[in-house]
Amino acid sequence: MPITYYKLPNGLRVILSPDSTAPTVVTAVYYRIGFRVEPRDRTGFAHLFEHMMFQGSQNLGKMEFIKLVQQNGGILNGSTRFDFTNYFELLPSNKLETALWAEADRMKGLAITDENLKNQQGVVSNEVKVNVLNQPYGGFPWLWMPQYANSNWYNSHNFYGELKDIEAATLTDVQAFFKTYYAPNNAALAIVGDFDPDQAKAMVEKYFAAIPSAKLPPTPDLTEPRQEHEKTATRKDPLANRPALAFSYHMPPRNSPEYFAMGLLDQMLVQGDDSLLYQELVKKHGFTGDISGAINELGNMFDYDGPMLWTASLYHDATVKPEQIMSVVDSVMDGLQSKPVEQSLVDRSITKMRSNLYDTLSQFGGFGRADLMACYALFDDDPAKINALEDDFRKVTPDLIERTSREYLRKTNRTVLLIEPGAAEAHKGESK
Amino acid sequence: MRLLWSLIMLSAISSEIFAGPNETPPQGPPPKPFHLPATTDFSLPNGMQATLVPYGNVPKVAIRIFVGAGAIDESASQVWLSKLNAALMKEGTHTRSAEQVAREAADMGGQVEVDSGSDFTSVGGVVLSDFGPKFVALLADVLTNPALPESQLPRLKNDLLRQLSIDKSEPGSLARERFLKTLFPDHPYGRTFPSESELKGYAIADVRGFYQNNFSAIRTHLYVAGMLEGDLRQAIEAAFGSWPKGTAEADRPAQQVKARSFQFIDRPGAAQSNLLLGLPVAEPASADYITLDVMNSLLGGSFASRITSNIREQKGYTYSPYSQIGTRRHLAYWLQSADVTTNVTGPSLKEIFYEIDRLRKDPPGGDELKGIQNYLAGLFILRNTISPDAIIGQLHFVDSQGLDRSYLSTYVQKVMEVKPTDVQGMAETYLVPSKMTIVVVGDKSKIAEQIKPYE
Repeated sequence: MPITYYKLPNGLRVILSPDSTAPTVVTAVYYRIGFRVEPRDRTGFAHLFEHMMFQGSQNLGKMEFIKLVQQNGGILNGSTRFDFTNYFELLPSNKLETALWAEADRMKGLAITDENLKNQQGVVSNEVKVNVLNQPYGGFPWLWMPQYANSNWYNSHNFYGELKDIEAATLTDVQAFFKTYYAPNNAALAIVGDFDPDQAKAMVEKYFAAIPSAKLPPTPDLTEPRQEHEKTATRKDPLANRPALAFSYHMPPRNSPEYFAMGLLDQMLVQGDDSLLYQELVKKHGFTGDISGAINELGNMFDYDGPMLWTASLYHDATVKPEQIMSVVDSVMDGLQSKPVEQSLVDRSITKMRSNLYDTLSQFGGFGRADLMACYALFDDDPAKINALEDDFRKVTPDLIERTSREYLRKTNRTVLLIEPGAAEAHKGESK
Repeated sequence: MRLLWSLIMLSAISSEIFAGPNETPPQGPPPKPFHLPATTDFSLPNGMQATLVPYGNVPKVAIRIFVGAGAIDESASQVWLSKLNAALMKEGTHTRSAEQVAREAADMGGQVEVDSGSDFTSVGGVVLSDFGPKFVALLADVLTNPALPESQLPRLKNDLLRQLSIDKSEPGSLARERFLKTLFPDHPYGRTFPSESELKGYAIADVRGFYQNNFSAIRTHLYVAGMLEGDLRQAIEAAFGSWPKGTAEADRPAQQVKARSFQFIDRPGAAQSNLLLGLPVAEPASADYITLDVMNSLLGGSFASRITSNIREQKGYTYSPYSQIGTRRHLAYWLQSADVTTNVTGPSLKEIFYEIDRLRKDPPGGDELKGIQNYLAGLFILRNTISPDAIIGQLHFVDSQGLDRSYLSTYVQKVMEVKPTDVQGMAETYLVPSKMTIVVVGDKSKIAEQIKPYE
């Protein structure tokens, strides 16, 4: 895929990837601030802040950003993730300049009021309620599992936010957060779609070059210690009718050979109805109707930077005990750790991964490509990495699969989360 | 201290950047022309239809086969039999075990998906494009030659019992069930959930009978979109040519209720109330439908719409309110949905009806309407380009509603012709509050007083 990558003098990383398949264009701005490093007394703040980016800047009052995109025939969104917060627009291609102007306007500064903040505190509280507090299995496993599996606060706090923390945020917090993290030298701008690269470069220069950079704070220590004992946590869910179970393992470091092997192990173990755990838990034992799993439940295995989990989850009946399920999981994992898997299994996993990668890169009219390029620009200073991924997976051997399984699919590297239907009590996490 | 310092610094920088008059957004050049992806359509002697859409440069191909068989073909005592049939269709064919099917599909970079809905069962998947013809053959085996093995029935019924139990614990599912039940009494569209005992009672003969009666070539349309490699037409003709023609879908028109009904489901301790309100509107084949689409987008069907601006961006009552036009075969209904904080249940209903009434009385401003028209025109490009499955979705909608394909090629022009008085007219004609069904799922002890005016 064609990729042009450069930096403006103020530090903004710019990635251009033209594709004239459709007369549309994706404009995506990624800030290197995720919920891991939000202020300790303000859980959920990185996400609340993301909402504030739609509440007004110098030239766009409340609702005007949203209206501008919509009235030009486009759609937009913003998301807060472990290691970044993103904002993107998908528009007819003749509206690229409109999108760049608008993104630059809010990168320059916010113009919001106490009233806007209160309004979005209400909206975000409702978001937490609709997705977590008022739903059975609300935070299972995406929100809850990291809280049990990780031990470093940055990775293990409630990143959607305690309602009291969301309510406590002030305009001062908002301004300070913006000032600290929303600078061009902490951001990447990716443009994918039907555009002329030279014209795009000129527009990026025109709208972004004058925005001053900022002195960025040092990154805190995000590392997780090597897990040496299996952990089990039980959570009562008063809204649930059936029990559920999830298990997670800490991932190898990003971009290591073992990391790519884990990508294939994910394909082998849980992706698709040919996968090992699907065949065992669904087909053979009938413990569940489906098993789902992912490296990074809030994205994919490419769009994060810090410590990460590989997680699998399922719903089951009260008549099936968690020990029965985990004993089947253990036997599958033992099989991977005792001898190299057959080459044909590795080949099938590579085929599935390649197919999946094409989907990821073309997802949502080019947004998927922008997402990966922006992340590789921010985290690795190398957006062209997307063109090398296929080769990295092809290098994985049965031998590496075995070694990776032994270290990373170790039982002692695992956390099991059990959801039990029933009245809520204090959530307990126990080690064994 | 540090926070204060940051704030001061920001003000200093801000005043510098914010100096000068407000800018207006650059408009950019005129739009490039957009052409719908071209299709090749053909039918087989047994009546099966096929549509090929070459599109894009990603080496993947989506194949979806829609059979006119679904919940609509269930009797009152057969709810979810179509789901059970779909699950069993994934359990192997007379020539391949389930595991073989799964592995073959995985070796093509995909998997076989079988899903049942109100009017259709779909069989398909997305694979690496060089396997297109091979995937057609595999899908044909699954669709026309399923083993429907009795041995797997107890496990699959148990999976559906679990799914039923989980579905019924979700407040949104309960609200939708009640809404559809109220709108479509005595019709399969109104029957969302079976009873446990009903589900437990289904025998293999019921499933095989359902398949026999409802799956055949005359009810089937196959779509392929993406990168087309190999002779797909030949593959389709070879794989499906000998499938029996069968009988066309039975006409099962649904009588929709258009009368005020207030439905309440108590959910003690609920943090939010789930609100649904709506009523039948003109079907997709009606001349009013596109105007209704515009009206819906302006009223509640988009981020910048009136209802969302009001109860989300002004009041903060809710996170994701939306309105939509739901469709079934030859019918449609309008529906507004919002999950709101418990203590503002009444005020939320009040604001939603306020916005409905306002649009029924006064035509929208020209600029507001123009914004929505531009939005729908842009969205139309996205819907027809964003992925091979999106392209298939558009074509399937048009074909399954009996519309001419020119519905797509003239859509934008028709959207642009809508006038402010047309939008107001649609709201006045169709969105009659005294004929709406209202469903509230929430904590009765906290909201009884708030909802009284609507009962």
